[in-house]
Amino acid sequence: MKRFFINALCLAVLASTPAVAAEPIDFVKDVRPIFEAHCYDCHGGGKQKSGLRLDVKSAALTGGDNHGPDIVPGKPEESPLIQFLLTENEDEMMPPKGARLSAKEIGILTEWVSEGAIWPDGVDLVELEDTSDHWSFKPIRVEEGEHTIDAFIDRALQEKGLKRSPRADKATLLRRLSFDLIGLPPTTGEMDAFLADDSTDAYSAAVERLLASPRYGERWAQHWLDVVRYADTHGFEVNTERKNAWPYRDYVIKAFNANTPWDQFIREQIAGDALGKAEATGFLVTAAALLPGQIGKDEESKRLARQDELGEIVINTGEAFLGLSIGCARCHDHKFDPISARDYYTMQAFFAGVHYGDRPVINPELDTIVDGLRERLRPLERELERYLLRAGEGGKRASLSAKGNIEYFAPVKAAGLRFTVHSTISGNRHQPYIDELEVFNTEGENIALNSKVTSKTGKPEGAIDGVYGNESAWKSSVKGGGSLEMAFENPETINRIFWGRDRTGKYPDRLAETYTFEIKTEGGDWRKIADASDRASFDPKKAKEDLFQLADFAKEDQARARVIIEDRKPLVEELKQYHGGKQLVFAAQSSSPETMHLLNRGDPEQPTDVVAPATLSFLNPVELSLESKDAERREALADWITDPDNPLTARVIVNRIWQWHFGIGLVSTANDFGNLGALPSHPKLLDWLAAEFIESGWSVKDLHRLIVSSEAYQQRHELHAVGLAKDSENRLLWGFPSRRIEAEVIRDSILAVSGTLESKMFGRGYDLFHARGGTGGFKPIESHLKEEGRRRMIYAYKVRMEREAVFGAFDCPDGGQSAPRRSQSTTPIQALNLFNSQFTIDLAAEFSERVRKEVGDDPDEQIQRVWKICYGRSPANEELLDAGYVVREHGLETLSRVIFNSNEFLFLP
Amino acid sequence: MNEAENISSHGRHLLGRRSFLSNNATALSSIALSSLLGTDHLLGSSKEPSRPQIDPKNPFAPRESHHTPKAKNVVVIFCAGAVSQLETWDYKPELIRQDGKPLAGGPPVTFQGPAGNLARPQYEFRQRGETGKWVSDMIPHLAELTDDFAFVHSLTSETNTHGPGENFLSTGFVQDGFPSMGAWLSYALGSENQDLPSFVSLLDPRGIPQASINNWGPGFLPAEFQGTLFNARNPIRHLSSPPSVTQSKDEAARDLLKRMNARHLEHNPLDGSLAARIASYELAAKMQLSVPEISDLSTEPDHIMKMYGADDESNPTKAGFAKNCILARRLLEKGTRFVQLFNGAYASGGRLNWDGHSKLKEQYDVHAEILDQPAAALIKDLKQRGLLEDTLVVWCTEFGRMPMFQKGAQGRDHNPDGFTCWMTGAGVKPGVSHGVTDELGRKAIKDVHPLYDFNATILHLLGLDHERLTFFHNGIERRLTNVEGHVIHEILS
Repeated sequence: MKRFFINALCLAVLASTPAVAAEPIDFVKDVRPIFEAHCYDCHGGGKQKSGLRLDVKSAALTGGDNHGPDIVPGKPEESPLIQFLLTENEDEMMPPKGARLSAKEIGILTEWVSEGAIWPDGVDLVELEDTSDHWSFKPIRVEEGEHTIDAFIDRALQEKGLKRSPRADKATLLRRLSFDLIGLPPTTGEMDAFLADDSTDAYSAAVERLLASPRYGERWAQHWLDVVRYADTHGFEVNTERKNAWPYRDYVIKAFNANTPWDQFIREQIAGDALGKAEATGFLVTAAALLPGQIGKDEESKRLARQDELGEIVINTGEAFLGLSIGCARCHDHKFDPISARDYYTMQAFFAGVHYGDRPVINPELDTIVDGLRERLRPLERELERYLLRAGEGGKRASLSAKGNIEYFAPVKAAGLRFTVHSTISGNRHQPYIDELEVFNTEGENIALNSKVTSKTGKPEGAIDGVYGNESAWKSSVKGGGSLEMAFENPETINRIFWGRDRTGKYPDRLAETYTFEIKTEGGDWRKIADASDRASFDPKKAKEDLFQLADFAKEDQARARVIIEDRKPLVEELKQYHGGKQLVFAAQSSSPETMHLLNRGDPEQPTDVVAPATLSFLNPVELSLESKDAERREALADWITDPDNPLTARVIVNRIWQWHFGIGLVSTANDFGNLGALPSHPKLLDWLAAEFIESGWSVKDLHRLIVSSEAYQQRHELHAVGLAKDSENRLLWGFPSRRIEAEVIRDSILAVSGTLESKMFGRGYDLFHARGGTGGFKPIESHLKEEGRRRMIYAYKVRMEREAVFGAFDCPDGGQSAPRRSQSTTPIQALNLFNSQFTIDLAAEFSERVRKEVGDDPDEQIQRVWKICYGRSPANEELLDAGYVVREHGLETLSRVIFNSNEFLFLP
Repeated sequence: MNEAENISSHGRHLLGRRSFLSNNATALSSIALSSLLGTDHLLGSSKEPSRPQIDPKNPFAPRESHHTPKAKNVVVIFCAGAVSQLETWDYKPELIRQDGKPLAGGPPVTFQGPAGNLARPQYEFRQRGETGKWVSDMIPHLAELTDDFAFVHSLTSETNTHGPGENFLSTGFVQDGFPSMGAWLSYALGSENQDLPSFVSLLDPRGIPQASINNWGPGFLPAEFQGTLFNARNPIRHLSSPPSVTQSKDEAARDLLKRMNARHLEHNPLDGSLAARIASYELAAKMQLSVPEISDLSTEPDHIMKMYGADDESNPTKAGFAKNCILARRLLEKGTRFVQLFNGAYASGGRLNWDGHSKLKEQYDVHAEILDQPAAALIKDLKQRGLLEDTLVVWCTEFGRMPMFQKGAQGRDHNPDGFTCWMTGAGVKPGVSHGVTDELGRKAIKDVHPLYDFNATILHLLGLDHERLTFFHNGIERRLTNVEGHVIHEILS
């Protein structure tokens, strides 16, 4: 709280204020007119500068953002309100512009405060809205009885004198379902089978087939990634590669495919690291982030950057799960919703232990691959060992390399190991870094991974975490030195140590030059096993040599060693892709929570009260102590969000899913269920769906079934004047709301009909640009002739703020801000891209080739086939004529190019 | 459903009867909001929001401004990398006197690291024109024109980092992903010319600016309002078909597409989104003719090429920028609403843009040569053709630089606390210097204006009230100026 000093001058003025009247000051008669004349322009119903309003009793006596109460009853000398009227300080003076209050007016106000600032109840001309009295903050309510989607929809239509359109034909329905559920058109086989199936459950069988398809998760994960602004780069000007973002993307795809209950999905994304799903917490750090090098070196910049990164987590959590713009309360109380600035900071405190960064993730599939590679490496290394020079046995060993060095010695039983650095190659100007220290037993297993650090300089855990690279290195805290001591799980016979400064080969600096390795005997003595004394002196030219340098072998063995080293190389290269065996994910890094403060006006330089974690104060708040641990905090928050009694969570996701089926939600503002958000078009339907959803165990697939089996979903798309006149946006669903398919669906569908869509799932994204990050711009790859580039677009490496060169223009979100619903713009740039891009021309040729292969060279046959594949129907006679002319005169490719650009191909029917 | 019914009672009370449409131009038809909005007030600003009516079939149709505009079109000369105010427009004789001394009470550490001592301007200053404005010798051609400029010397930014700083300058937010000023203008005003994009971004020949697409992106506005990228060297992507496709095939394809789409429309003749797609192909076809025509500088006479420095074979970068300047003029002549002309590219240790941390003088000699003559020629050319009557020219940069050199370096660190931008042309009072930094140029001290104010002023000149030009997104009525901004009336004519 800002401190107040009433200066001598002010006191003098106060003291000299004449008693205005013998009668007590009357608020309505004497005080309010003064407020009206001088204050309400900025502190009334229209504006509340500094969060202060003086036209409503409760608000006026509470005060604004900057101080506690501005009016302290009985104490004018402590009341900022009076101080501002008296001060000569231009920054504080009120009113800031125009005439000041007269001495008489100041006198009245001073007297009024002295008398206790009596403000009678019920005299205010305006009432303060209770912003928590809002539909979405009230419990979900369902009326007794049987309900169906169609009954709710029909009731609302009837009220407007409208009715649903008839059921669409089967071909249309299958196309609609297929685009909607898996983001691809049906194949001709699927269409034929569906049309031939006269059974009553043909439709539901098609729904089940699509929901069970792995393509389903690829389609629906994209919707969620839009909301959380997923990208594979860090954003801002340097926009560097966020190498390990994709495990989160894969997690989302898998979660949709596995129909992970939504409450569990939320819990994993907030606190998954405590549940064995660290990759899920990629959710917390999806935002653009300034890297350490991009943040100013001054402390103010660092504090601001930390607040910004925490702010993004609060914003994401609020918007994605609760449909609330909590982020708005960072600088001041929310203007429209009952979220105070304090709420913002107590919510932020749940994440006080979260940092952005890479962390290892458990991945059994990867373990299998890595184990297999290790298995193949082992015999090669065994053989190499036979020829290696042993440390300290008279041979001159290779000079040190930053990429990795071998200490080989006679097998010795050891209970622990000590590595001491005495100097570095930079003449001790820097702290030495060691990215990995591997200690092998005679079985060839790295036992350092399971050892315990017993003494250390800096944080050496990074050297024995199995992760290569600078980011997870042991960074000694001492220039030119440092030591690391570890105890093995059990005493073991060891014979080999690999260590390096950066096994990925990026950094050749900060390398230890002189050092000692000692083992701890079972008796507890320390015994030296290797040091740098028998190494060739350091040569910067050799600082990036690989492990197993030839110089590590005796002359006569070098020829044989060279052969094995060459055999070993490709295996090592492959292994390197897997970070030495562990997959990393860019996700929440958990640490001990920092102390969080309420910040005045959101300014990190103006911390006020210390705040403990607490959920939003108007919604059954849960509070934790200041001492609570990081995991405990995030789990508590997840529990609160996923509590079935939380009125927002189920409504928000049910609405999103409805929106992704129908193009617009029952609440059209999917990220905002607050006072500024839209009201639901069908409130009872929304509540019933939310209740059913919770009842089903938060099953997203059950909700899909419910929605797509409704008659409302299966009706025709037919716009008519009556409907448009009464409900121009078709919010009441008097017809199916058709719309253009999204960027990803267009690209995937073109590949699919051409028969060249790759079905490979998961993993590092493929490239749409020639660069994966950096400042030089992103030159698009024009032709995607390789298989990788023909995977579904969700597997493309997503550069933040850089839209894909052809399809990005079709309203692809850029990963900057949350995109709860895609806009549907129509631009000439889209037309140029889809008509003229190399991609379209390439794929038109390939599609034509497919058609030729299937039906031969007869133009009419070809056209029949094209229509069937792309539109799921036969061409009408005049279409056959039109297209026939073009195919005969200009080739099938020309027709294919037209098809890809046609409205029928590009619209959800 | 009447949109007004679609708001909670509180929402209605808080915001009057404003309508909350979805985040985009509706696919079915444009919705007339004016009747709903006529008497309503925006909470916190006592202003009614204005949401332009976008006809999906013709999204670039010219639209009414809020008040009579002084300027119809704008060209923004955007100098990426933070141009030093101290080497250009903000003359500080005291800094010359205190050269080499430490800055008393100054920050020990600035953005990039430890601060060194105060350093005098690296160029000589002299008085110019009728106003006697002190301007440095670094930019002699622009200096000649300063009688026409209105300087704001007291601008501040919210960040000292380039990417967020360019975001802030272009979008009013330091974060990625908000709509750029040009997108706001296209959204608000449409365009006078239906054959060309309403918003064109001309990239510097050296590459893209640091905040890249944030400077011309649509953010959450409908995508059609984003800037179209091209310059004198690189045409619009996909403007024509690949060379393998013959012209007759192109025509046949376009013709067949038209007929197929028309036939498809017969099934749903009232579907505006289908009609809009058909219209977009027609506009695309027009652009295929109009853009190459406007980009073809061979029709420019020699003396014009010479005036801009576009003929300077010894300095291809300067010639490239000069050609962009000519292209800017040609676009403005044809009624393009917003032309963004970049000078400077991405982070490169000050090599490719104005980020002079270590060898400021050496690098600024190079950059100034590229900027000065072409930019000055653009202004003179606009003036001699009478285009300056209704064209606003803005020169801006994301922030300024420190009066100290960085420790051990010959350059200045980032300084968001007081820097200079200027404007000239339609509606601008000529020869004004508004706002003051302290005697060393460290901080703005008088008439301090956050960049919000500068942007609010630009909107004002185009007939737009920055508080009324809004778009509802993620629970907030978003603006170019966030919740801030005051028009700087002192620089208006």
